[in-house]
Amino acid sequence: MALTAIFFYLFSTLALASGAAVIVAKNPVHAVLFLILAFFNAAGLFILLNAEFLAMLLIIVYVGAVAVLFLFVVMMLDVDFAELRAGFIKNAPVGLLVGGVVLAELIALLGARVIAPTPASSVASPIPQGVTNTEALGQILYTKYIYFFQGAGLVLLVAMVGAIVLTLRHKEGVKRQSIAAQVARGPKTAVELVKVKPGQGL
Amino acid sequence: MSSETITLLWEYGLWLAITVGLSLLVLVGLLLCVAFLLLMDRKVWAAVQMRRGPNVVGPFGLFQSFADLLKFVFKEAVIPAGADKGVFLLAPLVTATCALAAWAVIPMNKDGWGTWVISDLNVGVLYLLAISSLGVYGVIMGGWASNSKYPFMGALRSAAQMISYEVSLGFVVITVLLIVGSLNLATVVTAQTAGIGTWLGLPSSALDWHWLPLLPMFVVFFISSLAETNRPPFDLVEAESELVAGFMVEYSSTPYLLFMLGEYVAITTMCALATILFLGGWLPPVDIWPLNAVPGIFWFAAKVVFMFFMFAMAKAMVPRYRYDQLMRLGWKVFLPLSLVMVVVVAGVLQILRSA
Amino acid sequence: MPETTSFAAALPEIILAAGAMGLLMLGAFGFSDGEKSDRAGWTAILILFAAGVALLGQTGTERVFNDAFISDPFARFVKLLVLAGSATAILLSFDDLRRAKADRYELPVLILLATVGMLMMVSAGDLLALYLGLELQSLALYVLAAFRRDDVRSSEAGMKYFVLGALSSGMLLYGASLLYGFSGTTSFAGLAQAASAPGAATNLGLIAGLVFLLVGLAFKISAVPFHMWTPDVYEGAPTPVTAFFAAAPKLAAMALLARVLFDGFGGLFVQWQKIVIFIAIASMLLGAFAAIGQTNIKRLMAYSSIGHVGFALVGVAAGSAAGIEGLLIYLAIYLVMTLGAFACILAMRRENGPVEEIDELAGLAETNLPMAFILAMLLLSLAGVPPLAGFFAKFYVFAAAMKAELYGLAIIGMLTSVVSLFYYLRIVKVMFFDDAKPGFSATAPYVRFVMIAAGLFVLLYAVYPAPLVEAATAAAKSLSL
Repeated sequence: MALTAIFFYLFSTLALASGAAVIVAKNPVHAVLFLILAFFNAAGLFILLNAEFLAMLLIIVYVGAVAVLFLFVVMMLDVDFAELRAGFIKNAPVGLLVGGVVLAELIALLGARVIAPTPASSVASPIPQGVTNTEALGQILYTKYIYFFQGAGLVLLVAMVGAIVLTLRHKEGVKRQSIAAQVARGPKTAVELVKVKPGQGL
Repeated sequence: MSSETITLLWEYGLWLAITVGLSLLVLVGLLLCVAFLLLMDRKVWAAVQMRRGPNVVGPFGLFQSFADLLKFVFKEAVIPAGADKGVFLLAPLVTATCALAAWAVIPMNKDGWGTWVISDLNVGVLYLLAISSLGVYGVIMGGWASNSKYPFMGALRSAAQMISYEVSLGFVVITVLLIVGSLNLATVVTAQTAGIGTWLGLPSSALDWHWLPLLPMFVVFFISSLAETNRPPFDLVEAESELVAGFMVEYSSTPYLLFMLGEYVAITTMCALATILFLGGWLPPVDIWPLNAVPGIFWFAAKVVFMFFMFAMAKAMVPRYRYDQLMRLGWKVFLPLSLVMVVVVAGVLQILRSA
Repeated sequence: MPETTSFAAALPEIILAAGAMGLLMLGAFGFSDGEKSDRAGWTAILILFAAGVALLGQTGTERVFNDAFISDPFARFVKLLVLAGSATAILLSFDDLRRAKADRYELPVLILLATVGMLMMVSAGDLLALYLGLELQSLALYVLAAFRRDDVRSSEAGMKYFVLGALSSGMLLYGASLLYGFSGTTSFAGLAQAASAPGAATNLGLIAGLVFLLVGLAFKISAVPFHMWTPDVYEGAPTPVTAFFAAAPKLAAMALLARVLFDGFGGLFVQWQKIVIFIAIASMLLGAFAAIGQTNIKRLMAYSSIGHVGFALVGVAAGSAAGIEGLLIYLAIYLVMTLGAFACILAMRRENGPVEEIDELAGLAETNLPMAFILAMLLLSLAGVPPLAGFFAKFYVFAAAMKAELYGLAIIGMLTSVVSLFYYLRIVKVMFFDDAKPGFSATAPYVRFVMIAAGLFVLLYAVYPAPLVEAATAAAKSLSL
């Protein structure tokens, strides 16, 4: 248990610190790198909760794919840092206020949990005995929560269709490679044999 | 200090010592193997191109890799003036660390002592996928931090390429997992003791391994792992004819060495993963004496070397892809194919199970 | 293990979702290039129709997927309206988008998917289902707003809608997580239990969660003070899409709001009633006064829709069966009026493109008397002039408010109706008494059809209101009041 506690504090401290660094970092690329570090620590916390499947998924999906694209975009953007920072300072009080309210509410939530432990005891789907949590997740995801699963699938489909609708342009006059056509081409269509008489040329 | 605390510390200390010891053992063994695999790589290309390859340092050039190591380490590390120094130096470290970290979950043998692995993780396959997807960060960070055009182009290419192929790689792994029903790598291997061969009444043999029922997926996996590790014919990240050396243009000395090391370790990891998923891990080709008397680690190593040989042959023989061809192959060929296979495999399994 | 029978309750949604995916494949591979969007549009209408038929086949109350999906008369009433609204929006889109060279087959697909989201919202019995439905709908709407991607205003509309919509989704999710934290459940039934438990009224977290949830939903129905996006989005989005925005999604979000408040938080009625009354009054006031200065008819319609949301909320605030009944009738009549009005706006088109300024309607009575007449009638109905349909809509909600002793609310509602009459009448004056401008070019047949149908409904509703009232009465009973 002591070891778990040590790791918990390690991961949470690092997560909080890198979360703060995301906002404070001057360079947006550094900010994204800190964000990735925060993801890592969150994954570590998941592992401490014995939710290793979620931890791995967090790394594969968020760190391995989402954050890469994020980094991709940030690197290519030409952001004026001075301007950005001016806006940051101007809006800081509002941000602090909102953050403060959210924090207060979370603390209230925590207090209520300590006072009334009922919510914690009414877990919708407790992990059955003798099953790894990956299996437990699989058992309810496609049965009990099939509706949500399919709904989420539709949301992703809309996102994909939307991205394509808004960005795909078929340019006219672009030559595209058709590998099937290339492979299907035989000597009859590809080569023309011409008998050239001497001295006449083509 | 109370006696309880002492026992606690003793237990943790022992656990820590064992883990560190095992890790060091695997690490050293792995690095030695990589040194010789690198040499083998060069020898194979040389043989294909009818050259001799490195043959000066040591007998048959056996110590060539160590000579290279010394050469790189003793050179001066040049950091470009415009580079983002922290990220620039972090990038090779990330590459090398991620590549090495993958080996924590790779089981190399199973015998009376248990599974030969540092951490027998429940979600070993996912861990490997996660770690291999991190390899891209070294490349992107290196490319960006160099503050130079060619490295950046290389980084952009690699980001798109590695993410694209990760998708089909993931689906291929899913087909295997569907058959096995576990995400634990050792279970994946032991599940391959029975299969098509035993169903036909033969003894447990190479016919039981997953490569046979999942042959198309094995091919997709092999090609995708070439792309995932930026190996030829998909080495557009460092396409020297277009980008000089891609994201590694500005690197020299030890950072460069770490990049190279990370790359080769990642390739070895992919070979090991292919061995575990499709080639029956440490299982002997036929489960009869004397083959099954040979320690499993030997079979495991032999299969990894075989896979590595395939990687080297691909590099030696296949010309480099153009970028649009690479993307087409990943998104329009492999992704639909592996998606369909996931459905087919799941369907077949369901039918077999209900029959 | 899931019961296979449970899927039957969600048949309309399944038909729509499968239809949308099939249409996507047809669009990508099936249709020939020339008339892709037309065929896709008609197929989509057919799919909506099929879903409607499946919907009509359902009876009784069914709770499936662990209470996440509720199919009851209330849901079916609203769903039918939503389906009709979506189908009409597609009908209106044919001509306009072709002329704008934005006729792509994805539009009907996105409308279908948005409709699935709306149906999910209407049937939601769980916070997760609520969020997924809402997000499915909103995401499709963001894209639709920016559908004319080469048009700066359209892109801007999409961007604004997206950013503010994402913000509101965030608030909603935050509220939902608070609610989950304090009640330990996401299903409305469980929340209702927590909300009626002793001490719920002083449970800060529960109420804070409810408030955030309400804020998120108020964003989606564009109620004041979360309405800022509406005028810009209405103005920037392509007109058929605006017609769609103003009609179906509003209905679905209102129904969702009513469902959450009554089924989930009946026990906290005293608490949320104050909020709803405030939102209703603010929306009615803003809808009435801000619309006065508008010169663009789409912006005007945006403010008008804000006002109408306020009126509809009066029915919710009443908190009685009569209030819900009023709300449902209001929504049905509002749907018809809005779609009719937008059909008229779509008909405002000259040789060199569509026009949107109110001044362009000058002297319409001389150049096109039928259209002027229908538009005038629709506008007067929106204002609530008897004996047009809009009057009855307002009558029901105000009557419910009076019965619930919310006299102040009802009086403010009536006063704002009078104010709004001013700007609607101004358009009528422009059409009938100002000097004529050149006539509009010929109207597409479907647009004309929608116009006439809406006009007839508005005019003749008073003659035979029974079916709608009866259906609404039956539907209102299924919410727990």
